[in-house]
Amino acid sequence: MSLTTRFLGLTLQSPVFVASGPASHDVNQIRLAEEQKAGAVVLKTACSDKYEHMRSWPRPRYKLLDWDKQIAGRSKSFSLYSYEQGYSGTLEDYWEFIRVCKKHATIPIIGSIFADDARDWQEMAKQVEQCGADAVELDISSPHRPGSVAFETTFVAAIKIVVKSVKIPVLVKLGPGHEVVQQCLVAEEFGASAVSLCNRMRGFDVDIESQRPILHGYYAGIGGPWAKHYTLRHVAEAAQEIKIPISGTGGVMSGEDVIKYVLLGASTVQILSVIMVNGWDSISRINAEIEEYLTRKGLNSLEQIRGKALEAMTSPEDIIRWSGEPKAGARNDWKKRGME
Amino acid sequence: MGNEQTKYPGLPPLPPPFVKEFPPIAVVVEEKCIACDRCPPLCFFDAIIMENRPEHKYKRTAVVVPENCTGCGLCFEACPVDAFLWTPDKTAGSGPLRAAQETDKDMDV
Ligand SMILES: Cc1cc2nc3c(=O)[nH]c(=O)nc-3n(C[C@H](O)[C@H](O)[C@H](O)COP(=O)(O)O)c2cc1C
Ligand code: SF4
Ligand code: SF4
Repeated sequence: MSLTTRFLGLTLQSPVFVASGPASHDVNQIRLAEEQKAGAVVLKTACSDKYEHMRSWPRPRYKLLDWDKQIAGRSKSFSLYSYEQGYSGTLEDYWEFIRVCKKHATIPIIGSIFADDARDWQEMAKQVEQCGADAVELDISSPHRPGSVAFETTFVAAIKIVVKSVKIPVLVKLGPGHEVVQQCLVAEEFGASAVSLCNRMRGFDVDIESQRPILHGYYAGIGGPWAKHYTLRHVAEAAQEIKIPISGTGGVMSGEDVIKYVLLGASTVQILSVIMVNGWDSISRINAEIEEYLTRKGLNSLEQIRGKALEAMTSPEDIIRWSGEPKAGARNDWKKRGME
Repeated sequence: MGNEQTKYPGLPPLPPPFVKEFPPIAVVVEEKCIACDRCPPLCFFDAIIMENRPEHKYKRTAVVVPENCTGCGLCFEACPVDAFLWTPDKTAGSGPLRAAQETDKDMDV
């Protein structure tokens, strides 16, 4: 029995990745991820020079909502509200960051980029490749991305040009929403190697005492353990339509959650919030929980159960239904009550 | 309001008033700290250490290392007695930056 996973031609020691964000923003964190036996690390997203302002972060930038101080990260219902932006150095710093990561790491390193101009996408993706990254992820779905960039125009062009310009695998990270399957199909059609589903949502919260939006007065990224339920749905929807592999991300707190993603067709799973609130050893704990499940079920690898739950999915027409009419009678007595 | 939830509210919902002039960093009010050890692990930037204080009621206290503090706000949520406050980091070099000064003005989705 082993957690060894094949993904985009890479052999990984675990299907569990560190997702792009504050846990992949400096070289020392790569060492921590490796010690914990993460499968790979997706580095913090670097923005093109046009979005230079996104290299500076507001303070404070995180608020844990509905956070129960007594049970802290053991809770299954908090939200991490955040207004974090892109990688905080220049692009030169980022290229150097990738080079140093690659020099010291034995696990695969995936670069992550954001731009709008097709030429910037192309240049940045080529640099990521030249610096030795094992793959590049296009972060086209950040909850903080400017509203002027749209999937149909900017991002389709980006996927096309990047796929043509690099030899390393290209992952496309999509946001949640009703258009996700369509976007997966487009990404596949234009040659993406995999999709990452899904980025966090754009959310909002208000302080009723001051009657103002919390933190800085603008929408923020929102996610938490509860977020897995919509990403699980999106992974299931996508897995039935596309052939390229899926990297699930959202709300994973335990090995159980990873297994759910795999049962619905994901090949790998990216985690972040759980590392932030429960520490780096969450990775090895999750690995151990998956191993324990495999042993209990007498399985050799997760590959044996990938997509298995999809086979048991049904359609609305085939759902067995029973009439509730006789039992609804007591509540439907308006005639008796003269309410006709 | 007087309900349980607001007793130890954690991070204030709004940034401190001085945020336009100085970047905020966290600081521990040592007299309040009960040395419960909850905040160092929640700080993702290794900016909180526990220090010995022989004269302190609990003999120890949490201390924020200003050089490491990114002003993120997580530690406020760890503390059962709300011992965290914002303080201006007057040593920080650069002035405040505003987003989209001349680039993308259309930030609505
Ligand atoms: C504070 C924070 C910063 C993030 N920054 C990025 C980013 O720069 N690029 C990106 O592609 N995703 C980013 N993400 C999304 C994560 O990579 C991840 O997909 C998402 O948080 C869902 O996983 P989780 O529920 O395990 O945190 C960020 C998430 C958080 C919480
Ligand atoms: S504000 Fe953030 S970085 Fe600073 S001490 Fe608190 S948790 Fe650590
Ligand atoms: S969480 Fe609060 S009381 Fe506990 S060690 Fe930190 S500052 Fe002290």
